[in-house]
Parts: sequence; structure tokens; C-alpha cells
Amino acid sequence: MKDLLRITLSLVAIFVVAGMIMGITYKHTAPVRFAAEKKEKEEALKEMAPDALDPIKAAGTWSADNKTYEYYAATSNGKPVTYIASTAGKGYSSFIKMLVSLGTDLKIRDVKILGHEETPGLGDQVEDKLFLDQFKGKTLSQVVLVKKDTKENIQAISGATYSSRGVTNGVKDAVQQLIDKYGAGVKRTAQEVRK
Amino acid sequence: MSNHVSYWALFKNGVFGENPVFRLALSLCPAVAVTSGVKNGFLMGIAVLFVMTMTNVTVSILRNFISPKVRLPSYVFITATWVTVIDQVMAAYQRAVYKEMGLYIMLIVAFAIILSRAEMFASKNKLLPSFIDGVGMGVGFLLALVLLGVFREFLGKGSLWGFPILASKPLLIMIMPTGGFFAMGLIMGGLNWIDRKYFGGTGASSGGH
Repeated sequence: MKDLLRITLSLVAIFVVAGMIMGITYKHTAPVRFAAEKKEKEEALKEMAPDALDPIKAAGTWSADNKTYEYYAATSNGKPVTYIASTAGKGYSSFIKMLVSLGTDLKIRDVKILGHEETPGLGDQVEDKLFLDQFKGKTLSQVVLVKKDTKENIQAISGATYSSRGVTNGVKDAVQQLIDKYGAGVKRTAQEVRK
Repeated sequence: MSNHVSYWALFKNGVFGENPVFRLALSLCPAVAVTSGVKNGFLMGIAVLFVMTMTNVTVSILRNFISPKVRLPSYVFITATWVTVIDQVMAAYQRAVYKEMGLYIMLIVAFAIILSRAEMFASKNKLLPSFIDGVGMGVGFLLALVLLGVFREFLGKGSLWGFPILASKPLLIMIMPTGGFFAMGLIMGGLNWIDRKYFGGTGASSGGH
């Protein structure tokens, strides 16, 4: 009985002290971390649309798989130049968070990975420029993952097929969403130009 | 541990005599998982070096307080605390490094080598020797990971630290998990062979995971 008390006390003491250390660390680091993350997000948006002169503000939210994402219309002097959506795709061990930008011609301009928890050394290869650059200039129907050499579609990374699929699905959802929101308006503009 | 054992010998023991990966054969899972490139191996090694040293020091300080019957949960909790602290501090103040290393840090809680050093060494030794042992083992783990990374990345991708060296990829299988086991076996065998031939050693002990 005495032994039991000693064991319990020693464990509880360690847990309480450890919990306090973690709590204090969190209290002091969390605000710095959130501020840094917010700034990084703004910078990432700016990078997605370098030609947008106006500040980029969220135009609304959309959701997929019970998660909510934002979309943006980056403008220059009030005229849209790029549409951007935040999105995510389920990879091997996590949701891969991304930003996808679409030109006014509804072709993909850029894909940027914001964060993920894929396997180091395998899944994290989706961050490679070689893989992401494949998306540039593609239309929605071309965003299909294949396992062979391709110029038309997206080639999966060997050893990271699930992660590649996660990115591809996330991009597809975002492009679909942006076309639903802005596609009609763009087509109308094109028709007006033809008249 | 008597005072006659020099700290240098203690440090060398971690790096060579009882190298965590190649001699103790502990923490082989992460060693295979992250060494598809030199950079990954190096970053993981640095993170382990930190956590290893901190855990060893804490366990050594608390060695008379921790109840022997619940020592394992205590050790794991101490490790988890340091891992969490390092994770949070880096996430706030070292964003660039965190983006590269963040994935690895949380994995360290479950490393066999850290638990085993707490149990085998730090719980029985004073503060300074435990600190040296932690640093030695950490550096040993780091060097092993870099060695594996060099071997695998060079053969698998024809590059080192991400910089292309060969135009081709000589042995793609080396960056796959399968290749990790091949690389591990070959290097371990090579080191054992050198040890037997030149130093009269007996080779690696049986391992864990």
C-alpha cells in the first residue's frame, strides 16, 4: 500500500511538472508561431499572384471532405488577374495543404505546398519543383495522375504514389471550385470580346 | 561508473564502440525511413542529438526520485516533454529549420535508442557522464544516419545533399525502403569485417527495432 502511494506520487509529480513545462512553453511560443504562420500565408498568396497590385482578400469559402477552404480573386486596379484557392488532398499519412492559382484563361498557373506530414524522404518529394511544375499550364481535364512518362497529364513520383495522388486530387478540387465560381464570368468576357 | 573512465572514452563509446545503429542495432526503423537522402539523415540526427542529451540529463537528475516500478512511463514522458518543447520552440523561432525538420521531431518520442540509454546509462550514472553519453550516442546516431544517407542517395539518386553528381540513377532501389535494409546490412557487414580484421572485435550485438 505504501509502495502504491510512492509509485503514484512519483508518476503524478513527473506528469504535473512535465505538463507545466509544456504549458509554459506553449503559452510563450504559440502567439509567435501563429503570427509567423499568418505572415507566411500572406507572403505565399502574394507569391502566387506577383502581378496583382491590389491587396489579396478572401472572396469566400468553400468546402470538401468536411474541411473549409478559402478562395481569392487577386486583382490589379480592380481587374482580376489570378484566382487562388486554398485546398488539401489526402496523401499517405496526412492532408497535404496547398494553394492553387488559376489564370483568367482557367489554366493552372502555380501550385504551392503549404504543409503536410508525409513520410520524410518519400512522400515529401511532392514538394520537389520537378513534380509541382507539371501542373503549370494544365487545364482541369489534364489533371490526371498517371504512372508513366507524360507531358499531357501528371506523372506520379515513384515511391510516393499516395502523396502524388493527394496533391493531384487537392488541385483538381480547387480548380473545379474556382471554375464553378469564376468560370462563367470568364466565358462571358470572352464572348463579349468576340462580339 | 568509476571516475577513472575518461569522458573522452565515454564519448567515443557512443560514436564507435556502441554506435546506436551499427553496433547496438537500435532505432533501425527511423534509420531506414529517413536516410533516403543525406540532408534528411543529417537533420534527423541533429534532432535526436538534442533530445537524447536532454533526456539523459533529466533522467540522471531524477534517477533517485523515479520509482523503479514505473520507470519506463517516466522515461517516455520525459522524452515526450523535451520533444514537445523543442517542437514548439522551433515552430515559433526557427521557421526555416522547422519546415525542414518539423516532420521528424515528433517521431523521436518512440525511438528505442533514447529509451535504452535512459534505462542502461542515465538511470545509473551521475549528471556529467550521462550528458557525455547522450552527446556521444547522439553524435554516433548522427554519423550513422549521414553515412547511410550518403550511400543511399548517391546510389539511388546519383546526388548528394540534393546536388546532382551523376547524370543517371545507378540503383533506384536504394532510396526505397527495401534498399534501406540492403544499405544497412552492407554497411554493418563492412564495418564488422573491418573491426574483425583490424581491431579484433566481435561484431554487432543482436538488435531491437
